[in-house]
Amino acid sequence: MEQSHIANVDEKRDFEVNSSNLKHVRSFCREVFEKLNINQELKDELILAIAEAAQNIVKHAYNNEQTEDKMEIKISVSDGHLEIGFFDKGRPVEKDKIRHRKIDDIKPGGLGTFFIQQIMDAVVFKEGEKPWINHLILSKNLNN
Amino acid sequence: MTYKVTEEGNISTVHLDGEIDMDVTEKAKEVIMPLIEAKKEVHLNLKEVQYMDSSGISVLIESHQKAMELGTKVTLKEISKSVLKVIMMAKLEQILNLD
Repeated sequence: MEQSHIANVDEKRDFEVNSSNLKHVRSFCREVFEKLNINQELKDELILAIAEAAQNIVKHAYNNEQTEDKMEIKISVSDGHLEIGFFDKGRPVEKDKIRHRKIDDIKPGGLGTFFIQQIMDAVVFKEGEKPWINHLILSKNLNN
Repeated sequence: MTYKVTEEGNISTVHLDGEIDMDVTEKAKEVIMPLIEAKKEVHLNLKEVQYMDSSGISVLIESHQKAMELGTKVTLKEISKSVLKVIMMAKLEQILNLD
């Protein structure tokens, strides 16, 4: 098997769940992706997907309510396979209710999930292992 | 995000600067919506916007729709490369007024 030219990384960080921390989520992603040999366009797309997923935690798992809870974001790359884990203690995700709006239906909202699905290869919701409630995994093969 | 508003005749130009995410969308709407409600033609200059997510895109859609409803217009000017990419990803380049 050919070895990937993309470095392996495994980093995680906690963020308080509120919208003012989304910029810190993006900074963390930029820091991690700086270590990878991937183009800027792909880095920007991945940062958008991660920020949208973090925003969904603030908006939907916590209904944008004030909390002292933290979410954890873990970024791992192994042999060019990127996996991003999101862990939170908010309301359990109702998987059946997650869908982006129809793209032809022009109205504000509902685009975040669409962006995530456009950018990533796979989006998987799992029940979180204690103490977490929700565990979202976004993945993408960076070798393509 | 910071902003500056300039006026020329019935055209108000809002120069937005920085990153537009969920945290600043209310602030952006507070600047843009009263101009539309005053039936001004609004130009949004996005040259200095380095990042915009789905919340920012929602502000653009909402502004566009409100302007249409009130018989005026919102035009996006000098759109930065990163914002244009997100607009295109949302397939809005034919819907919003891009200049």
